[in-house]
Amino acid sequence: MNKSLRSKIAIAASLVLSAGLVATGLPSAQAAGLQPTAAQLSAWKGKTISYYFYNDSQAELDTTKSQIAAFEKLTGATVKLDVIPFTNYDPTLQARLAAGNAPDVARLNNPGLYINDSLDLEKYLGRKYKTEFLKGSTLQVTHPTTKKLIGVPYDLTVNGPFINVEMFKEAGVAVPTSWNWTELIAAGKKVQKATGSEYAFAIDKTGHRVSTVMSHFGAYMVDKNKRNVLRSSKFRAEKAVKMITDLYVADLAPRDLWIGTGTKYSSPTAIFLGQQTPIFFSGNWQVASLAKDAKFEFAAVPNPKELNGGGWPGGKFLTAFNTSKTPDLAAYFVYYLADTAQMEEMDKNAFWLPVRVDLVEKGVKYATRSSDMAVFQADAGKTPAAAYGIQSVPTLTALIYNNLRDLMTDVMGGKITVKEAIAKQIVFIDEKLATLKK
Amino acid sequence: MPYLFVAPNMFIFLTFIIWPAIRGFQISFYDSIDGRTFTPVGAGNYRAIFGDPTVAEVAKNTAIYVIFYVIISTVLSIAFALIVNEQQFAKGFFRAILFLPVMLSPVVVGLIWNDVLDRKVGPLNSLLEALGGGSPGWLIEPKLGMIAVIFVGVWVHLGFYSIILLAGLQGIDRSLLEAAAMDGATRPQIIRTIILPLLKPTTLVILILATIHGFQSFDFIYTLTGGGPFGATTLIVQYIYDRAFQTPIQYGLGSAAGVVLFMIIFAFTALNFLLGKKRQAI
Repeated sequence: MNKSLRSKIAIAASLVLSAGLVATGLPSAQAAGLQPTAAQLSAWKGKTISYYFYNDSQAELDTTKSQIAAFEKLTGATVKLDVIPFTNYDPTLQARLAAGNAPDVARLNNPGLYINDSLDLEKYLGRKYKTEFLKGSTLQVTHPTTKKLIGVPYDLTVNGPFINVEMFKEAGVAVPTSWNWTELIAAGKKVQKATGSEYAFAIDKTGHRVSTVMSHFGAYMVDKNKRNVLRSSKFRAEKAVKMITDLYVADLAPRDLWIGTGTKYSSPTAIFLGQQTPIFFSGNWQVASLAKDAKFEFAAVPNPKELNGGGWPGGKFLTAFNTSKTPDLAAYFVYYLADTAQMEEMDKNAFWLPVRVDLVEKGVKYATRSSDMAVFQADAGKTPAAAYGIQSVPTLTALIYNNLRDLMTDVMGGKITVKEAIAKQIVFIDEKLATLKK
Repeated sequence: MPYLFVAPNMFIFLTFIIWPAIRGFQISFYDSIDGRTFTPVGAGNYRAIFGDPTVAEVAKNTAIYVIFYVIISTVLSIAFALIVNEQQFAKGFFRAILFLPVMLSPVVVGLIWNDVLDRKVGPLNSLLEALGGGSPGWLIEPKLGMIAVIFVGVWVHLGFYSIILLAGLQGIDRSLLEAAAMDGATRPQIIRTIILPLLKPTTLVILILATIHGFQSFDFIYTLTGGGPFGATTLIVQYIYDRAFQTPIQYGLGSAAGVVLFMIIFAFTALNFLLGKKRQAI
């Protein structure tokens, strides 16, 4: 074959391929590594998409901004970053959707609320794209009816305790390498007494974090088959909830922060940073901001082990909305943020746990705080399979967690007993699960 | 020509006040979980509101808040207006101080008082402890929570009401006050028999405004207490907000509660207005 003919065939082949790609929108992830075609770049140039975003740390925001800048350079499109405070994140987004002012892309932690508003990403990124992420994480962004991928896991979060190492040392309490809840509370009390701190323990005011404690005692609320399993583990749940609420009633934990904030989420991060408590139960997403703001030595320590150890799964997700005027660009932006290079950069900078299979296999090397991240990674591995059960009802998780939180508030105020709280939670879950069958 | 001048304002008023109000009234007869699909439910949302046991609690909280807020605001703003009116030394400075909280964002107000009222490390309790007054749980005891939000509500608006009353005071003919003084009337007698009766129209305005503000109070309370402790500071606007914007979203129910609030404020305003007119006629 002469050189001229070979080049003609090559040109023809590339034209056919390009035409195919243009006709089907973006190629599948497997087809071409998702480099935008010339036609797409031409179509996207000058277009603007909005990205609805919140950040747990400055590192997340800084990394996001630099990735957006690179994306804009690559595509010629503009990304308008809307940074929203977490406290009003979902109400604001839901109001925007209702008002017909949905963003193109959002970072979510409750993707279940937006199932019917999310773009079918498989149409743009291919059916096999989901296999690039941990299966457990993709469950929360899989449409319950169509089974299509409607979002992309962005990070894996694992709940767990942090301790103020300096306060532990001052009190002569060894930094734990393994412990149970009795030992954790005893250590907290001892450090509090020795250092004169206001509290012995603090936990984020959310049912999600309390679910970790319940899991340690072997209590769960919903299983993978969407069944209410709190009824069968109610005595264990009562034990876990009583242990936490007793700490607040006894003023060993910051009652003001839980009771005095109504039905709002609140985190005792400032209390931990102010050295008012030696133990802070939260999760790995706090590492970046604690590393930046803590004026003392702190460490992530393993979750206490009762019947079970390990953490409680959670995470953030990226979703494109089906109202986007440039859905292919929105889908590509999601793809871009979630590709191996960008995710590895974000995981390293913001101390995230990876959700991409390739990064999990390869391992993320954190420049600092690697021992803390190793603790969370180890706890992720110890998390019982039953802890993932509640992810089978993504539209209900927020409701179930919030109701547990509010019932605990009533227990702390002496309005109901722990037994009554769990009984009410069982009824609540029954009612909510029944709505799924309608 | 006059219509041309008011047209821009009327356009904004109709677009952002009247039209949403009409839509809200319309939506109150529908059920909607996303604001895009609506299922007619007739008066179902109104029945749900009046059948909701938390509404009685919210109504009680709102009544307590409004009554105390209106009375304390009115009395204190008259007192401050009288003081500021008489004051000669650095009067601009003191008037600015009095008005300062009005200019603060409600979120900032909530955050400031959250710190001030902190049970363990707040400056108020530090002072009380130094004086042997213990450490009251301002934000965790229901009754104290209500006292705290009433106090902060009054603190926020006091300057605004005082400035209005100050304008009313300065509109009083000084010859009347001088004549009374020459006739031997004491200062309390002048206030009671001349100033307060002549301030009645302005006081009526303050009563109406305070009643409206009282019923509408939400933003700084939400930041300060989130409606807690145990719902003790959840007023009607937070009830509307929670129903409309917190998961699970119920726009119809939230709109119906908004209509109920409108009726209440309208009734109180009309009552105040009619009573004021009656008094003036007498």
